[in-house]
Amino acid sequence: MLSKSIKYMQLAAAYVRLNLLAQLEYRGAFISQVVSMILNDVIWVIFWCLFFNRFPVLRGWTMSDFLTLWCLSASGFGLSAAVFGNSLQLPVLIARGQLDVWMLYPRALLPHLLLGRMSATAIGDILFGYVVYIAVVHPDLPHFLLFAALSLCVAMVFVGFNIATGSLSFYLGNAEGLAEQLRFALITFSTYPSTLFEGAIKVVLYTLIPAGFISYLPVESLRSLSWQDAALSLAGALAVLAVGVAMFYHGMSRYESGNLVEMRG
Amino acid sequence: MRSLEKYAWVGLVSARSQLAYASEVLSRIIFLLVILYIFLRVWHVAYAETGCTSLAGLTLSQMLWYLMVAESIMLSGPRVTPVVDEEVRTGALAVQLIRPVSYPLYRLSVALGDRLVRFLLSLTAGIVIVLVLVGPIPLSAGGLLCFALSLPLAFVLDFLGYFLIGLAAFWLEDTTGLMLIYSRITMVLGGMLIPLDLFPESIRPALKALPFANIVYGPARLFVHPDSETLVRLLFTQAAAVAGFSILLWAVFMLALRRVHANGG
Repeated sequence: MLSKSIKYMQLAAAYVRLNLLAQLEYRGAFISQVVSMILNDVIWVIFWCLFFNRFPVLRGWTMSDFLTLWCLSASGFGLSAAVFGNSLQLPVLIARGQLDVWMLYPRALLPHLLLGRMSATAIGDILFGYVVYIAVVHPDLPHFLLFAALSLCVAMVFVGFNIATGSLSFYLGNAEGLAEQLRFALITFSTYPSTLFEGAIKVVLYTLIPAGFISYLPVESLRSLSWQDAALSLAGALAVLAVGVAMFYHGMSRYESGNLVEMRG
Repeated sequence: MRSLEKYAWVGLVSARSQLAYASEVLSRIIFLLVILYIFLRVWHVAYAETGCTSLAGLTLSQMLWYLMVAESIMLSGPRVTPVVDEEVRTGALAVQLIRPVSYPLYRLSVALGDRLVRFLLSLTAGIVIVLVLVGPIPLSAGGLLCFALSLPLAFVLDFLGYFLIGLAAFWLEDTTGLMLIYSRITMVLGGMLIPLDLFPESIRPALKALPFANIVYGPARLFVHPDSETLVRLLFTQAAAVAGFSILLWAVFMLALRRVHANGG
């Protein structure tokens, strides 16, 4: 089990290096996309600064909590899209029958397939998340280490959710539009404090759109250095990932090849 | 006159083809529902915590109607930059230039046709959603006319911004970053997320003078608080901004045309 994990991490590291080199082939475009994503995130933060300037506390949340939330969401999303970028392409790959080429490798299908692409803008999100957290929130070492661990949990939630929504293509045909809308819903909910929501919506935020594992538990864990909330964040992330993986492999029994001739370099 | 008729037909054809994809536009309803629900919660808490029944002259219901109109304006933006960028990059622009139409006016007609359909569908969906969430607000035929009159120049101004960014493809490797930043600035400084009247007093006059306010804040504010004096002032600033952007666009387009090289074929 341990040696399998180490081998997979080596494979992931090799893919990240190759994907990054491929992105750097178009250096100007890559740098421009990274910088624009950082600026995009900064603009959002400026907006929230203006908002908190007018309304200093929102259900017990201050600007610092909000910054933590944004840094966690951005770095988690960035990690998921930078390392497992193909999770965003799943609906298209399934609907067009383009999984064939990945099935030929002597590797487990899903973990290998997810590594096949890197989103350039995701690097901007990672940089924004870590740099702003260190520079503006000024965490001590335990907080920073917990932040790094929680950003991995958040990444896991995004990857699991992307796999689950992408796998809808097995059941609905081309579910690209629906998967995109659900992804937007998760991202949107995960950038607002979940203390704003009550009742049935709160249940939705821990099940159908699992933003609570991004915007509530990890931030609460960092606010009070609570290991219990950190453990719940990890458990939630693992559950979302497990649901995604189960949906993918269950859906594979319905997969039809697109009979496309493809080559990968 | 015949020339105007030509562009009107282009717009009409574009609107009709957009109607063929009405289901794609309607899929945005999920996003609209999510974002309006989140706005409702954020502002519900903001009103409750400040103890005010009115902020910036708007009640909670009016605030949600304002945000719905602003969101519909933003969501209805057609794909201008990616299309111009692609035509520049692939050389398809050379083919467009030999047609007996002005390329910028042709693209404007297509964009306005697209936008009309997208906006009406988003607005209709948005009205249903806010009626369910907060109920009706007082509206008058005169007020709706004021709002309708403020839209055409707002849409033209938005088009000019995105078209200029698309033309940047003549000089830049990638324009997606610029487009992202421009849209975020329009959202924040245009008053889509928070009405400009709630920004700090020191920057409010400057923000209201920027073109972004003429695209989003002006029309949305007229929808909930119509008055003829504001409309006249808005139309004047919109016309001035459209004139300024048009001159800039003409200058950039002339410069760009010098870089077009076509070799038969």
